[in-house]
Amino acid sequence: MGLKKSHDAPTASEDERRLPRDLPGLLTALADDDPLARRWAARDLAQYPESSRALVERLSIETEPSVTAVILTSLTLIGDEIAVAGLTECLRSEDAMLRNAAIEAMKQLPDEVAPWMGRLLEDLDPDVRIFAVDVLESLRHPQVEDWLIRVITQDAHVNVCATAVDLLGEVGSERAKPALLALKQRFADEPYIQFAADLALKRISAG
Amino acid sequence: MKRILVIDDAATVRLYHRGILESAGFEVSEAVNGLEALERVVEGPFDLYLVDINMPKLDGYGFLRELRAKDIPQAPAIMVSTEAEDNDQRLAYACGANLYLIKPTKPAQLLAHVQTLLGARQPS
Repeated sequence: MGLKKSHDAPTASEDERRLPRDLPGLLTALADDDPLARRWAARDLAQYPESSRALVERLSIETEPSVTAVILTSLTLIGDEIAVAGLTECLRSEDAMLRNAAIEAMKQLPDEVAPWMGRLLEDLDPDVRIFAVDVLESLRHPQVEDWLIRVITQDAHVNVCATAVDLLGEVGSERAKPALLALKQRFADEPYIQFAADLALKRISAG
Repeated sequence: MKRILVIDDAATVRLYHRGILESAGFEVSEAVNGLEALERVVEGPFDLYLVDINMPKLDGYGFLRELRAKDIPQAPAIMVSTEAEDNDQRLAYACGANLYLIKPTKPAQLLAHVQTLLGARQPS
């Protein structure tokens, strides 16, 4: 006799999603002690843009990497102002994994992240400015070259400029050349800046 | 010839470090993140690792933790990062780094540290 699957037997996913799948139920599940319940809740909350604040708040206290990853995906799918603000706050985190995941998430939201970019590139923390340049790497936004030129012209921190030069070598045009030459003069005793700026100038000239 | 693995998501940084190390006679391989670096390690052992912190997929801390947990002959690792705070350095050492350098490195400084960690004789 063949085995017959009972229709009443709960599937694993139904069991994991034992709370109601409406907004209040999902928000409750997002605080569950069980990481599996939190992960399902975070995933399903992507359908509710009004949950972005709760997701951002959970992100700041979440300790389970797999839940964090799903929260970041849901915030990317929602992509509203609160979600983007939450992602930008991750750039200040001590957790390198969270920072890098947030950078990857922000790269998926060029239009939503663009209004924040000016402010991020002028942040008081040089690490945040470096991460902001990292986000520009895949932002595919028409202003990227202008932002990078402004960074290497104005930013006083060598590593913020170094990160921007690296990217200018890939996306820069003839317009970036005067700024690259000026940067070489500004950091004349930094071998890395000389190397990276020369490489960028060579790549731009090669088209 | 001593083999060094340079792990950094920035192509320019990899090229810069490769140039410095090759000019001193080392054989250099590259990886763009910690995950790719672990794959390189499986292919064959290295004598030294030069590791960035911030990289997608697997960052430098994660790479060092996983490397140090492996039952293989261990080699020294230099963490090279733009992060200048004490916390970053403490975490790097806790994860298994032998030295922490702040970017950008200067060629002579980098080579001196590499040669010391590899037990090579310093030029007089």
